[in-house]
Order: sequence, then structure tokens, then C-alpha cells
Amino acid sequence: MTRDGTTAATVTSLDTLLPGASATVKALHLPPREATWLRAVGLREGTVVAVLRRAPFSGPLHLRLGERSELALARELATHVEVAP
Amino acid sequence: MTTPVVALVGRPNSGKSSLFNALTGAHAKVGNFPGVTVEVLEAELKAPGSEPLRCVDLPGVYTVEGEVDAESDEGHARRFLDELHRSGSPALIAQVVDSTQLALGLQLTVELRRRGLPLVLIATQHDALIAQGFELDADALSQALGVPVIATSVRDAALVERIQKVLVDALQLKATPPSTAIDVEATVRQVLRPREDAKTAFARARARSERLDAVLLHPVVGPVCFLGLMTALFAAVFFVAEPITALIDAANQALGARIEAALGPGLLSSLLVDGVLGGAGTVLAFLPQIVTLTVALELIDASGYLARGTFLVDRLLRVAGLGGRSFVPLLSAHACAVPAISSARIIRDPGQRLRTILVLPLMTCSARLPTYGLLISTFFASQSVWLRGGLFVALYFAGLGFGLVASLALGRTVEKTARPRPLVLEMPPYRLPRASVVGRVGLRTASRFVRDVGSVIVIAALVLWALLTVPGPMKGSPPPGASPRAVAMHNSLAASVGRALEPITRPAGFDWRLNVGLIGSFGARELMVGTLGVIFGIEDAADDAAPLAERLREARRADGTAAYSGATALALMAFFIIACQCMSTLAAVRRETRTWRWPAFLLVTTYAAAWLLAVAVYQASSALLS
Repeated sequence: MTRDGTTAATVTSLDTLLPGASATVKALHLPPREATWLRAVGLREGTVVAVLRRAPFSGPLHLRLGERSELALARELATHVEVAP
Repeated sequence: MTTPVVALVGRPNSGKSSLFNALTGAHAKVGNFPGVTVEVLEAELKAPGSEPLRCVDLPGVYTVEGEVDAESDEGHARRFLDELHRSGSPALIAQVVDSTQLALGLQLTVELRRRGLPLVLIATQHDALIAQGFELDADALSQALGVPVIATSVRDAALVERIQKVLVDALQLKATPPSTAIDVEATVRQVLRPREDAKTAFARARARSERLDAVLLHPVVGPVCFLGLMTALFAAVFFVAEPITALIDAANQALGARIEAALGPGLLSSLLVDGVLGGAGTVLAFLPQIVTLTVALELIDASGYLARGTFLVDRLLRVAGLGGRSFVPLLSAHACAVPAISSARIIRDPGQRLRTILVLPLMTCSARLPTYGLLISTFFASQSVWLRGGLFVALYFAGLGFGLVASLALGRTVEKTARPRPLVLEMPPYRLPRASVVGRVGLRTASRFVRDVGSVIVIAALVLWALLTVPGPMKGSPPPGASPRAVAMHNSLAASVGRALEPITRPAGFDWRLNVGLIGSFGARELMVGTLGVIFGIEDAADDAAPLAERLREARRADGTAAYSGATALALMAFFIIACQCMSTLAAVRRETRTWRWPAFLLVTTYAAAWLLAVAVYQASSALLS
């Protein structure tokens, strides 16, 4: 979500996407250390992410990044990843 | 002149280890590099027409920039590269890139280009890329990056010589020309050429992986498969290793009998048989378990399943302040903590790895069970089967319970283990593991265990032998007709120490004889029953505990009252749950943490906690049972 909420209809956080949905990463609202780490594993601004599945009990998300790589990402981090369709 | 160094750098699962094996053959050793505490393998690389090179296999890394934990694999790799740069000796970075993950690999290339050392790119898994319907244009990539590029499949033996030649040539370069900005996405689009059958092949590969994931990550079927696999793993560690361990044991005993026959009874043959052979036997007995577990884990990791299993159980273990990768070590610690501690290497987060290692000794290992069995059958024989069974189960799970408590407590008190990082884990494609790599990992683990842990265990075994054999200052009063072994133990240093400890252990109900049992079982917990047997004049108590149980019930204090009761048994079992009563575990912790600090920490904290709990249990249950 953006802070003012005005673009809430189009911009949302990665953890709200349901399995099967995909979106483009717009921003990583994370401390530099975590953000660097996510970019290194391929989750960057501009990357197209598809949610393949969500582990139960608020477990991690199984994501596909772009065409060929897959990532498991803790839900607590996904809440800070801003995406748009 | 210093030998040129070729450093293999790459992301985890990039095929780096396979390539290292293919390039250097079987003679890798763990390199000794300043400030680097994770294992860095090193081997001589003999290329035709050149001086031998030192080829170094760095731990898998995602990034060498950004803020990385100094103790993580990334931190170590970065320090190594910094050191290499500073030394000014001839060096070359060979980056290993998985061609099916080219874009991600090139991110690391961009970072490595900024380091200024000569760089060569080796794109592995080219056959897998072709199977996905693409081809890598190595020349185009080389032009775009300004560094030599080789596309290979590790299964292709003829390429090894070519790679060696490129490495040797590239070493002549003083540095790779400064990097201009590289547009990773554009480069990937430019150099990956779709083949005729591109679409269908790629779709087929992905569909296969999706089908597997649909089962293995299914919310219900997935955990069932996971539990099944873990049960099989546990059974393998427990049962497959057992006959081999028994064989080693038998050989050890046969050798001991021959030594005794040759030298006759006496201090020297006792030193050789009980001290040296006993210690060496303890070391060897661990090997089948460690090799089985290591090989199984390597198979699970290399096949791509480890990441899936982590995905499934990560959430659950977060509750205890641990992560998904702690699962396998925690499970195998229920067989034995020693192989479990070495298996904790699969945990990448250094804080979580340390926390897991410190918690593992609390799990109920198989060596605790004979003592539990003896105490329950001795002091609770008149109780119902249900109560005895329930007590046994409670003891079993008490280890897990205390482990969870300890994990949470560690997170709050020991800074190095705090804050498990949220899960960020690459889900690698499913792959068939390579037998040669898996086999070498098993062999390497075995030889390193014997060398690093084995030496400590043998020294500790010799110290224990001396304690239990050499006469101490306090003269004992062995029962009439006691065997020479029993007499020696009653007069031993350990007996003196046990008596000296009585004031401390009395509130827990332990007299000097139980103290000697505890000292003797520091060599291995299963020795508790045998040691008590010798003290009470029962030979072979480990095989048939009934006579020992009788003696324990009949044991009297100086004033004629019963020496032990149900309360003593409960207190002793409480002590056994917590105390890190095992020299091999401490040696393994030292080996994995590379410092005596953590074994010392374990020893002090677990003994203090075990004593407190034993006293509390003894006092409470004496009051209740009387």
C-alpha cells in the first residue's frame, strides 16, 4: 500500500496476491540490507512476479520471478514489497 | 614466486562443486585462509603447458556487495576476495553461472567486474538450457561483458582441458578492463537464442517441475511426503548405520582381546584396550551415522528437495525461533547429536546455525535410553505399564520441550544467535544428483570427522580412563569379593572426585557412586549402565540390567537407609535430559564453531540447569512420594 492510500486500487503489497496472480514489483520498502539481498536473489523493481502458492499458517510465498527462477519468500518480507498489476 | 590462484565464485546450486571436482580431480583439501572459518576447498589444478595453479572453491554466494553478515558465506567470500586483491599475487576469478539462471548470475558478474580482478565466466548446465529450448551464444556474451566466456556441461569431459587453457590464458591479464555499465536484461535477451523447439521443450520442463511441486508442496500431501522422507532418513541414520557400527565394535573387541592376551592383565593393557582402543572405537562408531546422514542430505539438497522441505516447515520452526533448515539436524539429533551437529551446515544463516547447534544436545539421543530404561525398571517396576510407558514418552519429549525453551532463551540472551532472518530461499530446479559429487562429500566428511573430532575424543577418552583407573587420594571400601576392576574403580581418582562432589550432589539425591557413573558416562551416555555395573560388582550390566537393578534397590547409605528411591531416579533422569553429558558432542560443537567458547558455554549452562532441575525434582518428589 502507498502511504496516502490514493492509489490503493492499483498498487498493493505482494503478500495480498492470491495464488495464480502476477504483478510487477514497483518498490521494496525495506532496510538497505534486506533490499540488497532481495535484489541479489532476483526480486527487483521491474521484475514480474507470479504467486505460485502460499504456505499455510501465514507461511512463506512460493514465487516465480520473471520467466525462469523461483523463490520462497517470508510473508513478513512480502508485505513490504510494493507491486502493481 | 607465489602460485597463481583461481577462485571459483558462484551462486549456490550453480554447478560450482561439480566443476571444481571435474577440474581438480579427487585431491581437494580444506584450505587454510586467514579470517575464513567456513570450509573453503582447495586443490592443485594441473593444466597442460603451465605451472600448477591453486584452485579454490569459495562457498556459494548471491552477492559480494551490500551489507552482508561477516559470518555468513557471503561475508567469508567477500573477505577472501578482499584478501586476494590486497595480496597482489596473480589471481583470477572464475565465476560459475548456471546458464538456465543467466540473468541472476549476471547480477553477480556485475559486482565481480567492479572488483577489478581478472574474470572468466563459466556457464554450466548448458545441456539443461538446451533441454529448455535455448542456446547460449558464448561469443556474444563474451563481447557484451568484455571477459572470456565458456559454455559447458559438467558431464562433458572434453571441455575440462579447454577450461583449463582459458584459465591459464586469462591469468596473464593483469586485470579485466574497468566495467562499463552492463544492462543485464538486455544482455540476456541478446545472448539466449531460442532453438526451433524452444516453446515446447521449455514448457515441458516447466510442466514437469510444476507437477512435482503440485504434489510435494501440496498443503496435505506435501507434509505427508515430507514426514515420510524424514522418517526414512531417520531410519537410515538409526538402522542402516547400526550393523556397520556393530561390526566395527566387534572388530574393536577382538583386537582388544588379542592385546590383553598378549600383554596379560595390567595397567598397560588396560590403557591400550580401555583407553586408546575404547576412544578410537567411539570415534569409528560415529562414522556410519555421519556418512549416512551426510550423503542423504547431499542427495536431498542436490535434487532440489531441501528447498521444498524448508518451504513446508519454515513457519512451524519459526515459532521456536528456528528456521526450516533446522528440521533435519533436530530430527537426526534424536539418533545422535554428533552427526546432527555436522549436518547443521545446511543452515545458511550463521545465527540460526549456531542456535540450532546449541539446542541439538538437548534432544533425546538413543544413548540416553538405556539409562532411562534401567532407572524406570529399577524404581518403578511395581507401577502400571501405562505409568512406566508414559514416563518413558515424557522423558523422550522432554528433550524437545527443553530444546524449544532453550532456543527462545538463547535468542533473548546470546546476541550471536538472535534474530533469525526471514526466509528468502531460491527454489532450484529439480535435478538428478551426481554420484561422484555425493560420494566425495561423504568421504570428505568422514576423513575430516576422524581428524578434527576424533583427536579430541581420543584425548578425552584417555583422561577418563585415567580418572577411572588411577588410584585417588581417598581409599574406597569395595564390597568383599569384588573383581579387580571394581576394586580399581572404588579406589580411583573418579571415586575421590565423586566423593568430593557429594556435598554438591546430595540435594539431588546423588551419592558418590552415581557421581562416578556420571563421570564415566561423560565418554558416552550409554556407558552409564556399564559403569554403575562395575561399581556395584556386576559385569556385563549393559547386556542384562536385572542384577544391577537388584543391587541398586538394595544399596544402603552408611546409616542403613536405602541409598536410592524413585525420587533419586526421577532426579537422575532430569539431570540426564539436560546435561551435555557427552565428550563427542562437545568435540563436534568445537569443530563446527571453531572455538572452545561454545562447548564451554554448553558444558557450564547445561550442567548448571541440569543440577537445578535435578535438585528441584528430587526435593519435590521426595516430599510427594514419602
